[in-house]
Amino acid sequence: MNYSLLHIFRNTPFGRETFLQSLYFCNTIGAYPIVYIPKSDKFLLYFSNDAVQVDLNHSYLNAPETAKRHAEELFEDMGLKPMFYEPKNYTASTLPDISTNFDYLCCPRSISDLSSKIRLGHIGPKVRRIIKHASFPVLITGPVFKPWKSISVFLGGSENSLNALRLGLKICMASDLPLNIYTLLEKKGEEDYRELIRKNSLESLVAQYVSKWHFYGNQEFDTMLYEVPHDSLIVLGAYDHGIIKELLLGSKMEHIQSTVLNNLLITGPHCNISLQ
Amino acid sequence: MQTIKNIYKAIYYKLFRLDDRLLLIIAGSVAGICSGLAAVVLRLSLEFMIEWLHPFRHYWWALVLPALGALLSSLYLEKVSREGAGHGVPEVIYAVSRYGGLLRLRSSYSRLLSSFLTIASGGSAGPEAPVVMSGSAIGSNIAKFLVLNDRQRITLVGCGTAGAIAAIFNAPIAGLVFSIEVILGEWKFVNIIPIAIAAVAGAQVCQAIIPGQVIFNHQPFNMMAVDLLPSLGLAVLTALISVCFTKSLRKIGGLAKKSFLPFWGQAIVGGCIVGAIGIYMPLVLGEGYRFIQTMISGSFSMGIFLTFVVIFAKIFATAMTLGWGGSGGIFAPCLLIGSLTGVLFHKVLFVLFPTVGCASEGAYALLGMAGLISGVMQAPLTGIFLIVEITGGYETILPLILVSSIASTMSHYIEPASFYLKDLIERGQFMRPGTDARILSDLSLNELIETDYIQVSENMVFRDFINIIKLSKQNFFPVIEDKTQIYKGVIQLSTIRRYALEPGMYDMVFLNQIMDAEVVTASLGDDLQDVLDLMDLNNMDNIPVIENDRFIGMIAKTKVLDLYRRELIMQTNIQ
Amino acid sequence: MELSKFELSKYLGVEQNTIDRWIRQGKLPVSRRGATYSFCATDLKRWAAKKNISLNFEKQSPLEKKIGPLISLTKAIQNGGVYFNIQGDDVKDALNCSIETIQSIPQEFKPDLLVRLMEREQALSTGIGNGIAIPHPRTQPAYLNEPLVAICFLENPVDYHALDNQSVFILFFILCPDLKLHLHLLSSLSFCLRDKSFIQFLKSRPDPEVLIEKIEVLQTSNTL
Repeated sequence: MNYSLLHIFRNTPFGRETFLQSLYFCNTIGAYPIVYIPKSDKFLLYFSNDAVQVDLNHSYLNAPETAKRHAEELFEDMGLKPMFYEPKNYTASTLPDISTNFDYLCCPRSISDLSSKIRLGHIGPKVRRIIKHASFPVLITGPVFKPWKSISVFLGGSENSLNALRLGLKICMASDLPLNIYTLLEKKGEEDYRELIRKNSLESLVAQYVSKWHFYGNQEFDTMLYEVPHDSLIVLGAYDHGIIKELLLGSKMEHIQSTVLNNLLITGPHCNISLQ
Repeated sequence: MQTIKNIYKAIYYKLFRLDDRLLLIIAGSVAGICSGLAAVVLRLSLEFMIEWLHPFRHYWWALVLPALGALLSSLYLEKVSREGAGHGVPEVIYAVSRYGGLLRLRSSYSRLLSSFLTIASGGSAGPEAPVVMSGSAIGSNIAKFLVLNDRQRITLVGCGTAGAIAAIFNAPIAGLVFSIEVILGEWKFVNIIPIAIAAVAGAQVCQAIIPGQVIFNHQPFNMMAVDLLPSLGLAVLTALISVCFTKSLRKIGGLAKKSFLPFWGQAIVGGCIVGAIGIYMPLVLGEGYRFIQTMISGSFSMGIFLTFVVIFAKIFATAMTLGWGGSGGIFAPCLLIGSLTGVLFHKVLFVLFPTVGCASEGAYALLGMAGLISGVMQAPLTGIFLIVEITGGYETILPLILVSSIASTMSHYIEPASFYLKDLIERGQFMRPGTDARILSDLSLNELIETDYIQVSENMVFRDFINIIKLSKQNFFPVIEDKTQIYKGVIQLSTIRRYALEPGMYDMVFLNQIMDAEVVTASLGDDLQDVLDLMDLNNMDNIPVIENDRFIGMIAKTKVLDLYRRELIMQTNIQ
Repeated sequence: MELSKFELSKYLGVEQNTIDRWIRQGKLPVSRRGATYSFCATDLKRWAAKKNISLNFEKQSPLEKKIGPLISLTKAIQNGGVYFNIQGDDVKDALNCSIETIQSIPQEFKPDLLVRLMEREQALSTGIGNGIAIPHPRTQPAYLNEPLVAICFLENPVDYHALDNQSVFILFFILCPDLKLHLHLLSSLSFCLRDKSFIQFLKSRPDPEVLIEKIEVLQTSNTL
């Protein structure tokens, strides 16, 4: 199929790493990247129930005269046709509206921080809001380009992690890379998960494509994270937590991404992944 | 327990979600109260600051005050809240017509602060547009919090706007009319009730905090039949002034863009110029409510010539403030310029015909305000109702209607787009509900595209293709490259009919020889408007859609018509 | 009754992403539970009636014409039969004799059929050249139960006013109650008659079994 990924280009060495991740991702699953080279330091994403303004820091506007050429070079190295996105509508003259009709979006862990300030253990609030409202999965890249050789799906019990599983299967079919499922047994047992898969008629696909399903006990979360291969793409679902819940309990996603440096592909609560 | 839960659920869905009237009324009044609070807070703090800065006004260095204010305000907007500057009202109209009223949370406070800095320091601008912006953003964010749909959200945006205007002028009907006439652009039953309630709530907030105060006090006026003739003249004069005001706002704003100064430099230059004017004519500074008050009560003391000069000074100062980095609206400047125009007209009238017993100067100031609001915003009803509510009676209604309608008609004749809409119209983004542009912008290519097409390889022999034609119903066949699936061209049956009836050619040609590779194509991200223009230009009824060199489907005009009609029904039928 | 988005898109006659947009814009009565939407049929009906929107609840799909399975040419020939040595000196004679001979036509309809066939011949000769004619009526004889194709070899070639003025030695009767089937049989037959070797083969007046087999073989090369 024909999937597109939006990448916001940053003309710095750090941005290059992110862009290489995007290109590799696209090449592997047969999607095509579309690059937006920002002309002003902010843009708006209109989702169905929120308008998210993304404030970029100055590094995104770095050396605009070479940005396009650099992007094209990287495109050509990967053997892809360069494609650029031009915003059509403007909310204000320096505030373009970026279309949300893409199938994937690539984000660094934090969109507006300086690259020197990017800490682990912190997903920028904007990235979080994008994930919360986006109807597409968001690819959150590690700091340095690293090709991944397998896919790991974190399967919890929720509807959203089933979405993640569907997405993992889709990527697995498109890329022919091995797919593993990692499940932390909290309240439910192994059988309950198999039942869940059966109920959602994913059983045959799981049997066909998943190479191994790993189960871990309640306290073994960090063990599980360690055993995820370092060169694998992690697909997981984010939950629609309220603010209070997030403050009290902390977010599992936060913990995962602060511990693991792999590329993360996150499906938000509004993602709708179908296997067609 | 379960039954209670079910009953609750049923009530919840029936009362609030399916039939949303009650929900909208409650949420709307909350929006009205919040935006009313915002308006009152801005108004009070402005009054306080202007009072506090008053003693320093006559020093020579006071000219840097507006510069300082504009500088701080533009720094705040650009660097702290990172708003992306703009007048406020056009952005709200844009969000309402294109994105179902989605506004950012930061808009609900950023304009308040920035316009406070601008106006309190003496910049010539009005607090109404910022208040409208924050009121509508409050409404929008309440809707976001309640996860409402676009239609409901738009109603709440209207509620916020109405509450804000109602609170700042203590004029609920003006709030309602402004919100519907300028912001929403559609008079619908479902909108009017919540917006009216929000407007009343906003006005009540104002009453509760600043009790008993009308923004402009006045003596009763005696308007008589003899005033009708002069008001015709005043209407023409206000129309001319309002066109002049609109044009100079845009011209001077354009100058700033050409000046190559950084935004903070623009703010300093603009502020200094306004401050310099202000030293000689303090009347141009700030929002000018005090001066309007003196004019209405008839104690305005300037002579004819000076009044005439002040009108243009105020126009210039407002344009310098708003165009060069300050933040604020044009509503209050409109009122001031309007009342100046009215006073000027009255004075001239008195000199020419000293014996005619027409009404007082204050009455003409009010008429002038109505004329200018109608002329600049091309919203005659807002002008009429605002003045009616300010004067608190109907004694001036006849000349009011006369002035408003003539002024708005005349300025519409000279300048077809009002100040708020001009930019939107130029960008082709002025889309009121039920208009062609709105329907076309709502329909996306995704909804129109037909995708089940048999694709054929460019290396296919014509004879094989004939066999495919025999079995298929489609009139267009996309031709693709074998290995890469890249789209090469399209075969339209009507153009190859001659060859199809010639069996001698069947084994002679390959499809890449008879396909049409030059066909204009669209891509999924295109606007329907552009695609239709493209089809008209090339005289096509069907257009292939190509994405990333792959054939996606075809768009047919018949399908467009079908969905267009459904959409029109949907858009114009909502009660 | 609750409807899914897919069903509703069928009833309203629009795509599913249009439904999505209408939900977002608040143009449809819908109740939302989490991420899924459900539509209540009674609410929808009331809503549609209020707004004059047509909902196709009852008829699931537009009227689909009932077409029986297409019959193959060989089957029709088996229905009609192959007859040899038909008498007759002119067109009417030959037709008359043939109709009398063909057994699968009920006796009471034969006079009417002859009138219809003659009408057709007078309008334009059905002799297509190479000594072949395909007589058939212009309006379909609805009284026949099955489509049939009858092959009649004439004793003496008859002047049939054919296009190439050759005398006709063989008649292919196409008698078919349904127009669509008639066109189908006509097209299959003319496909066979385009083959020169087949015409030579016909001139040899082959046995019925051999003839039908030959036609069967020819049919397989026709992809239609």
